[in-house]
Amino acid sequence: MKNIFKNKKISAIISVVPKEEYRFDDEYPLFKLTEDKAKRFKKMMSLDRHRIAPPEVCSSDLCLYGLQRLLNEGTLKKEEIGALVFVSQTPDYFMPPTSNVIHGKLGLGHDVVCLDINQGCTGFLLGLMQAFLLLEISALPKVVLLNGDTCSKQMDKCNRVSYPLTGDAGSVTVIERCEAENPIYMDLKNDGSRHKAIMVPAGAYRMPSTPETLKLREVDEGVLQNLEHIHMDGAAIFNFTMGDVPPQIDDTLAFSGDTKNSIEYFLLHQPNPFILKQMADKMKIPQEKLPNNIVSLFGNCSSVTIPLNITFNCGEHLQRESRRICFSAFGVGLAWISMVMNVGPLKVCKIVDYEPV
Amino acid sequence: MDKIKFYEQLAKILDIEEVKPEDTLKDFEAWDSLAILSVLAMADSTYGVAIKAEEIRSVVTAAELANLVEAKKK
Repeated sequence: MKNIFKNKKISAIISVVPKEEYRFDDEYPLFKLTEDKAKRFKKMMSLDRHRIAPPEVCSSDLCLYGLQRLLNEGTLKKEEIGALVFVSQTPDYFMPPTSNVIHGKLGLGHDVVCLDINQGCTGFLLGLMQAFLLLEISALPKVVLLNGDTCSKQMDKCNRVSYPLTGDAGSVTVIERCEAENPIYMDLKNDGSRHKAIMVPAGAYRMPSTPETLKLREVDEGVLQNLEHIHMDGAAIFNFTMGDVPPQIDDTLAFSGDTKNSIEYFLLHQPNPFILKQMADKMKIPQEKLPNNIVSLFGNCSSVTIPLNITFNCGEHLQRESRRICFSAFGVGLAWISMVMNVGPLKVCKIVDYEPV
Repeated sequence: MDKIKFYEQLAKILDIEEVKPEDTLKDFEAWDSLAILSVLAMADSTYGVAIKAEEIRSVVTAAELANLVEAKKK
């Protein structure tokens, strides 16, 4: 599905990461890897460190903290918030929606729209689409997009395949109208026939939680997993990413009238540096225009990887000036979305540590 | 397809001197999920083919792997 949104812009982004940072060099004995294998893994995936939230900290806590920082620092006023869109795969509860919980904690008015969306990898771009649609059909002043994921809670901490690549984070993005046309070009695709490639099989209603679903099983030599953990078909995901995403990016650039040269940054979802390098090579995009460092420094934090990529790699630029950016996100669903737009200058574009008072 | 080049690439992935066609993949110490991912990447970037996980798991020798990639290329 292609669409063009007009007279809308992102005005601020803040990413929030837990202050607890763990290094692969300290953690690898947990994964029962020999030193040789650990070195090979570290080199291939450029593993260095990641941020993991303590057990009592939820996705919503990270988002609420970011939102409070924006309010306290005067970037946003409470009465300007027309909608809270919370995108996550790790909500506080099955019910009520986490956006309502955040609404209550902030003491917002009754006319605010609260909306939860269950998405992971494409969650930032899907959330942006939802924010643009809300602004298009209503008189809401500003939409606040909250992306939060604490995927480290969905896996065994000794799982060498997933855990060293995973991180927890939250982000807050403010979306509003603007006088300039500022066209935003989007292409969105879904293929539910491949939904089993990334899934948490049990714990909801198709396969409710039982002692059986919580039983750890050895899925690979030394890798333990239960049915309430994230399951990934690595080869299927690799083939999907290399096969379906580059053509969509090309297609979106053609749609927006851009070339690989006219785009200043390709800010992609960050599953791991290996696949991002492979994609950059395949699309003939210089590595410096397509950052791949988020997993090495923070971990793959699902829908928050793009906000982290923006704030970490382009934060200073985007606070001062505008950049033409191609975003692309791909994963769980399977779903893949690409967007081309001008971003900046932003009122705020930064990363902060989660340090509640 | 240049099979000699393919075996050289495979040897590099497995971090050894040489791979012979008759070698059994599972016998290599480095034949693990990372090696399989590297083979998928090599098949995509060098030969432009996508291999499924079950296809990789079904081959036994290096020659069978080379034949799989070659068959897909056609």
